[in-house]
Amino acid sequence: MKIRWIILLLPVLSVLAITLAVHEHAAHAAEPPQSAPAKAALAPAASNQSGSLSIPETTIAINSDKPMSERIVHYEIDAHYNATTHVVDATEVLTYHNTTGQALDHFPFHLYQNAFQPKATWVTEAKIMGSRDTNYAKWEDKDYGSEEIKSIEVVGQGDLTAKLHYIAPDDGNKDDKTVIDLPVNKPIAPGENVQFKIAFQTKFPETQARSGWKRDFVLGGQWFPKVGVWWHGAWNCHQYHNTTEFFADFGVFDVKLTVPQFEIVGASGVRVGEANNSDGTKTVTFHGDDIHDFAWTASPRYKVKDDGIFQGQMGPVKMQILMQPAHWSQVGRHEKILSETLDHFERWYGPYPYKTITLVDPEPDSAAFGMEYPTFITGGTSWFMPEGLRFPELVVEHEFGHQYWYGMVATNEFEDAWMDEGINSYTEAKVLDSIFSPQTSVIDMAGATLGEPGLQRMSYIGVADLDPIAKNAYEYYNSNSYGGITYGKTASVLLTLESIIGADTMQKAMHVYFMKYRFTHPTKEDFLKTIEEVSGKNLRWYFDQAIYGTQVMDYKVLRIESLPLNWYEQKKGGPGKDDKNTLYRDTVWVQRKGDFAMPIDVEIKFSDGSKVREHWKGDPRWTQFSYERKATVESAEIDPDHNVMIDRNNLNNSYSEEGNGKPARKLANYWMFATQWVSQALAWWGV
Amino acid sequence: MNQNRSLLSDGLSRLTRNKRYIVWFYVLNILLAWFGTVAFATQAHEMLDHSLAASGLVHGFDLGVFTEMMAQPEFGSTRTSGAPAMYFASTFFVLSVLFMPGVILGYASTYRLPREDFFRACGRNLWRFIRLLIIAGIVMGIVAGVLFGIRGALIKAANESTNELLPFYTSMACLLVIFLLMSVLRIWFDLAQADVVLSDRSAVRRSLAIAFRHTWRGLGSLLGSYVVTTIIAAILLIGGLWFWIKFVPPASVVGAFFVSQFTLLLLLVPRFWQRGVAVTYYQQHMVEPIPEQSFSVPAIPASDPVVASPAMVEPAETSTP
Repeated sequence: MKIRWIILLLPVLSVLAITLAVHEHAAHAAEPPQSAPAKAALAPAASNQSGSLSIPETTIAINSDKPMSERIVHYEIDAHYNATTHVVDATEVLTYHNTTGQALDHFPFHLYQNAFQPKATWVTEAKIMGSRDTNYAKWEDKDYGSEEIKSIEVVGQGDLTAKLHYIAPDDGNKDDKTVIDLPVNKPIAPGENVQFKIAFQTKFPETQARSGWKRDFVLGGQWFPKVGVWWHGAWNCHQYHNTTEFFADFGVFDVKLTVPQFEIVGASGVRVGEANNSDGTKTVTFHGDDIHDFAWTASPRYKVKDDGIFQGQMGPVKMQILMQPAHWSQVGRHEKILSETLDHFERWYGPYPYKTITLVDPEPDSAAFGMEYPTFITGGTSWFMPEGLRFPELVVEHEFGHQYWYGMVATNEFEDAWMDEGINSYTEAKVLDSIFSPQTSVIDMAGATLGEPGLQRMSYIGVADLDPIAKNAYEYYNSNSYGGITYGKTASVLLTLESIIGADTMQKAMHVYFMKYRFTHPTKEDFLKTIEEVSGKNLRWYFDQAIYGTQVMDYKVLRIESLPLNWYEQKKGGPGKDDKNTLYRDTVWVQRKGDFAMPIDVEIKFSDGSKVREHWKGDPRWTQFSYERKATVESAEIDPDHNVMIDRNNLNNSYSEEGNGKPARKLANYWMFATQWVSQALAWWGV
Repeated sequence: MNQNRSLLSDGLSRLTRNKRYIVWFYVLNILLAWFGTVAFATQAHEMLDHSLAASGLVHGFDLGVFTEMMAQPEFGSTRTSGAPAMYFASTFFVLSVLFMPGVILGYASTYRLPREDFFRACGRNLWRFIRLLIIAGIVMGIVAGVLFGIRGALIKAANESTNELLPFYTSMACLLVIFLLMSVLRIWFDLAQADVVLSDRSAVRRSLAIAFRHTWRGLGSLLGSYVVTTIIAAILLIGGLWFWIKFVPPASVVGAFFVSQFTLLLLLVPRFWQRGVAVTYYQQHMVEPIPEQSFSVPAIPASDPVVASPAMVEPAETSTP
């Protein structure tokens, strides 16, 4: 065959081969699992008699011989997952212990999966505010999720299904079905237990907001009717918003998951049983103590590493890692960072009491990466991930950190998102900087570096003046502002706080805060007051601006000047500027450009090598420092120790008289190289 | 294979005989890029020169400092600094169109082409090249659009697979196919350009038709040559970047400048080599024979020697360059 025919046929054959390969794999992925259809499991799970209702005091899943939280809820769920339709049919027996001190006549429940419907508040907000997952360019069937209570019975009061009605406490959206309210016939007295027997069906969407299916993978998060939290004298049960997460009471979870036998399953808590069924399914049973949520995952392709044990302060912690096959070479990286993070958190903040931590490497290209559930987190990596790119480490550290800031210190994520995401971003910076270095804790590759403090600052400075930290998570200007303020600003504010009270005091305050408020629902003032108490300082001036306000910090070295006092002699041909005996009036002007005022240090260097450090309260708008010396000012620098992370512009924090054109020339060289290369490439193919 | 080697070696010898063209284009390239960089450099100098924080960019490359600079309103929008770069990149493209006929003529000449002839060829063929450029743009645009569309669809389908690497392999395979097919188109238009200049043909459609036939006939050797030169370009680029990162100290702006510029200078070589290959192919296969004409030859005195003029070996339709 002549070569030109070979060349002509080569692309055609290649396209055919690729198409066939793709089809083969796609067909394999779409192949329905060999399982019997899930049962409509309407029979309630085993439960106590109404007369002797109680929350179990089990300690199977914790390294403690007694419960660690005030247990409000006990969920017993028997769920059957259909891997073909992505539908869960389940029964839920919820025992609720009324510790509110008053009679409760209605109970709101979260039905989170109803968020993924075209008219739901979550989707509407995602369209308007932007979303990290999808912009819903067009609505597709796979985007649809639902969670429906088929029946609900209150033990002793009968079937109350007809009394269920949707409510929308945040925005009044009548099409939002993420909260349902149940008035009970007879109020539940203080101290009394009540039991709900619920049959429900949940249909997962293709992964959104860290929940749902992708190919043959599923992440079961926020999948069952979950009762709201009685908080500050009222039910706290917000609708599911595009920028919000969750809030729930502590308790005990007993969950039976029935899935096809080929599935590899991971979940919150400890695995207490597994049995194959005759219909090709298996039932895996999990138990969780002192947790407030339960998530699970299943995929036939996980590769599992579960022999890692971390010796914690309260006992051994089993590290179970479920990896994607293509990422198996990174399992060591994942285990190492998980173990090192555990070690840092235990040493710095307090003990990790649970017996397990399950780290899931979710399906590639899914919106399931980087999520936290009690004792269960998802990471995020790719098959190509050089060691110098520390994103897997960053995600694993961050999500594990949530075991403390969300998992145990269970703040209200609807109203105080900064208290879990922000505080966690702060500890993320501390831990990763300790493991790597503050300059290279995110990227250290090919000469390019990026540290955690820099990363947090970057996300903040673009949205610095939009929203305060202390704000309901669903009321931010947009998702960028939510992310930049909640994560980046909070981390930067707390890092900066170290310069005011000292890094050691801050670490002590975090430890005290954790130990005092673990297994509770603290408020923002609980956190702030703890810092004030531990540091012994009144920090209101700082919190009012940094946490409650939108003030932006921007300090600047306005000018430096060295005037020879004998300037008139110079004019007459007197001693020159280089004369070491010439006396100068050295002046440095410093300006507070932004409206955020805080005391700062200013370091002034002189031509004779001497230095002076000044302290300025930041008020009024500008100040000057003057000296008479036989030396000129070489440079002035605000915050010479680089402790202030919330200054919007660090580049104007210093001024060097001499100047150094090297950084700009270096960047200009990169720019010119890129321009030349682009123009050559353009000419290569175009001319 | 021999023919392939002959095309490559002959093309290379034309390139080495006319190194000055590469130097000129390089000077043009760096000059225009310098203009395109002035706005960015001015902004960067203003932000960084007197800031101690900028030191993070000297002994390494602190992405935090770089991003901070780019994010400041004082720096201005990236459009302000990016637009001049794009304008001057486009100018290089336009000037390449303008000067390429001279290069082709120079490559076809067995002697050093006088400057007047070079510019005469540029002027004479400008409109022809613009027409060719428009046609090439339409054809290559459509083909590239279709091919990238297919690539997108295949990657989307591959994404449904449980094999995480399949989309990557699919993408790479598609890019290879696209590269080969686009190279074929590049060869077609390179031969057409050679024909337009060297045959002095004002009807570009005829040049395109002839070039199309020859692209098909000589596809194996031509495509082989183009692929080899492109691989060399890729090696030069990757090697240059590797050397830059590995051996040039981060603080050495001068070192980085020379390594980057040497890499860019070398990167011009493969494309001009391809031009040499096209001209070689043209002269070996596409020159139309001088039609035989019957005319009466006057008697020549035996004492007068016959001297062949260089113009007599040129194609029939070609005017003397």
